[in-house]
Amino acid sequence: MPELIAIGTSHHTAPVAVREALALAPEQALALLRRIHAERAYGEALVLSTCNRTEFYVVPRPDGPADLRADLLERIGRAKDAAPPAPDPAIFTRREDREAVRHLFRVSASLESQIVGESEILGQVKDAYRLAVEARTAGFLLNRLLHRAFRVGKRVRSETALEEGSAGVPQAAVELAEHIFAGLEAKTVLLVGAGRTAEAAARALVARGAGRLIVANRTPERARQLAEHLGQARGSPERAPAEAGAGPCPERGKDGAAEGDASLRPQRARRTPGGPAVATEAVGLDALPGAVARADLVIASTGATVPVLTREALAPALARRTRPIMIVDIAVPRDAEPGLGRLESVYLYTLDDLDRLVRRNLERRRGEIPKAEAVVEDEVRRFERWLASRQVAPTIRLLKRRLRSIRRRQIEQYGNRFAGTDRDELEAFSEAMCKRVMHHPIALLKHLATDGATSERLATVDLVRRLFDLDALEADEEADEETEPRGPGPRS
Amino acid sequence: MPLLLAVGGAVLPLAYLALVIDYGATFFLRTRTRGRTPLLLVMVAVHLGYLVLWGLEAGHAPVTGTPEVLSVLALATAAVYAWVEAVSGDRRTGLFVLLLAFLFQYAASFLTAGASAGAAGPSAGPHAGGLRAGLHVLPALVAYTAMAFAGVYGALYLAARRALRRHRFGVLFDRLPPLETLGPMAWHALLTGFAAMTVAIAVTPLMFGEGGGEYSAKIVSKIVTGSVAWGVCAAAVLGRWLGRWPLARTSAVAVVGFLLVMALLAVSGALS
Repeated sequence: MPELIAIGTSHHTAPVAVREALALAPEQALALLRRIHAERAYGEALVLSTCNRTEFYVVPRPDGPADLRADLLERIGRAKDAAPPAPDPAIFTRREDREAVRHLFRVSASLESQIVGESEILGQVKDAYRLAVEARTAGFLLNRLLHRAFRVGKRVRSETALEEGSAGVPQAAVELAEHIFAGLEAKTVLLVGAGRTAEAAARALVARGAGRLIVANRTPERARQLAEHLGQARGSPERAPAEAGAGPCPERGKDGAAEGDASLRPQRARRTPGGPAVATEAVGLDALPGAVARADLVIASTGATVPVLTREALAPALARRTRPIMIVDIAVPRDAEPGLGRLESVYLYTLDDLDRLVRRNLERRRGEIPKAEAVVEDEVRRFERWLASRQVAPTIRLLKRRLRSIRRRQIEQYGNRFAGTDRDELEAFSEAMCKRVMHHPIALLKHLATDGATSERLATVDLVRRLFDLDALEADEEADEETEPRGPGPRS
Repeated sequence: MPLLLAVGGAVLPLAYLALVIDYGATFFLRTRTRGRTPLLLVMVAVHLGYLVLWGLEAGHAPVTGTPEVLSVLALATAAVYAWVEAVSGDRRTGLFVLLLAFLFQYAASFLTAGASAGAAGPSAGPHAGGLRAGLHVLPALVAYTAMAFAGVYGALYLAARRALRRHRFGVLFDRLPPLETLGPMAWHALLTGFAAMTVAIAVTPLMFGEGGGEYSAKIVSKIVTGSVAWGVCAAAVLGRWLGRWPLARTSAVAVVGFLLVMALLAVSGALS
């Protein structure tokens, strides 16, 4: 029986309509896990449910469900208070042991994300682990596994450039702004119009700390509502929060509203630092020249058929300006006359420029994939070694060796006080004592190896190893083997 | 002591070159873009020790001959950059500044190769060394160092600005600090150069003291160099204050001024 099974579906195998049917909100996932714990259906269990995947990581029990997929689908139905979904079985992928570990590590490293290098997934894995801990379905193996998964995510982030550079249009606007401005604090953002992508870009800038937001719209009321809504982006995640259990995932692509594994639930990971609320202001389009003069960043996305930002209207305000102004024109047809970019202080970018930056960043991320995969493989090997060391047979051997080593040293230390038959008695006594001390622990370990649950076995082996410092003994053995190859000899 | 100085003169440029390579890795390979460089601090300390030894051997402050001035400029450039890096934690511009320090020290070592410290060049006259000379030389060195920084950061500002205005997302886009960091750095360095050179020029008559002095070709070239440096700084400062020059223009002036001053210093050195 495998010790760990990963089963689920993702954007690689299932369309969004199917993924929606399987996705679980946090409270649904928690309820599902609590039922698993109450029914003792699995030794350990964790569910990772995001916009792009629903995956279960379980430590099976000998008396557990025979058809894992069917059982989990039924549980999903119960958690969502609906009929169990019945998708095509082919969309499910099942991995066991080493492959399950590798898959989880790849997910945590964002190598399995729709946009490689997206940074949300590690937070989502942590949230999934938190739910499993709360539901008491995370045991010895999953605890160890998840902490290693977090380490993988951290290593990939620090040792590779996989997460560097923006991978969405709104984030590209922020990246450009950060190459012009030393910081976004005290900067004024002007949003002209109300396109989705422009709103997302303005939200991203506010979330990064922009000090003031001006919204210019043909309809003053719409401008005011938008200003209020965007003004709350400070201290909240950089993407549009979704209602728990809501429908389709946020649309991807040009609006960049979601990047990679967006969660269906309100984002809790990676909140930007809070602080004073951003000041907001709503103006009509007739006040645009004045608003532009006060702004440091302008995001333009109206539905106008002619430019609303013209050189003739803005040159008087911008010509003598000494501090830079960045204008991002996301509209098609364009809102800003190209001639504006020739003004000294103006840095003008269109949607094409942002797209080009995003494509360049994604290309560079792809170049980092081999490095990230090397990190994953290294951590898989480490985890395998750890798992192998927590097997019963080598632990019993090391335990015997440890106690016999203690026995020999004590005899060497005290044995010279005994002579003749007394010495023989001492040897017999100490041998019997060792056997008696080892008897019960070894019997327990052997029982767990054949009949015990995986988690209990691993936890017990780990405890025995720590109690008797068997890892150090094993390390000494390996060191000795490296210097002198071990020949055949009596097994201890 | 002469042997130590000779070894120091040969090793210092190599040590600066090693730093340049390290910072080159930071810039091109994007390794360790943030943090401090302990080796840089060691380098500054060693270079300071070298100049102290030089002064002890020569019997006067090492600020008379051109090689001495170049070596002091190298030290000042490295020391100021070490401070900038310590404050900002940003190592991305180190390549360009330390390259300048390397070039200064390489020129200094090249000019002194085979010469002893005491024969650093023709005597600068009765006003060599001494407190009055120090009153002029110190602010002059600060001014030239500041102009070097203004030139380097001005060039970086112009390069980054060009990349951003032309929508080129390449090496410069990736590796350089933002415009709002580079521009003010060049500007503040220019202001410092202007202030320091004003003091240096104001103090110059004191150097000649009673009985006047000899206006040799070397002295004249130094006066011309200092005046040009001051003129460039003044033009940029007044242009920005009164003419509301954009940072791009003041940076361009800083770069041109720096190159001009370096050329004049080279001429001045040739006249030594």
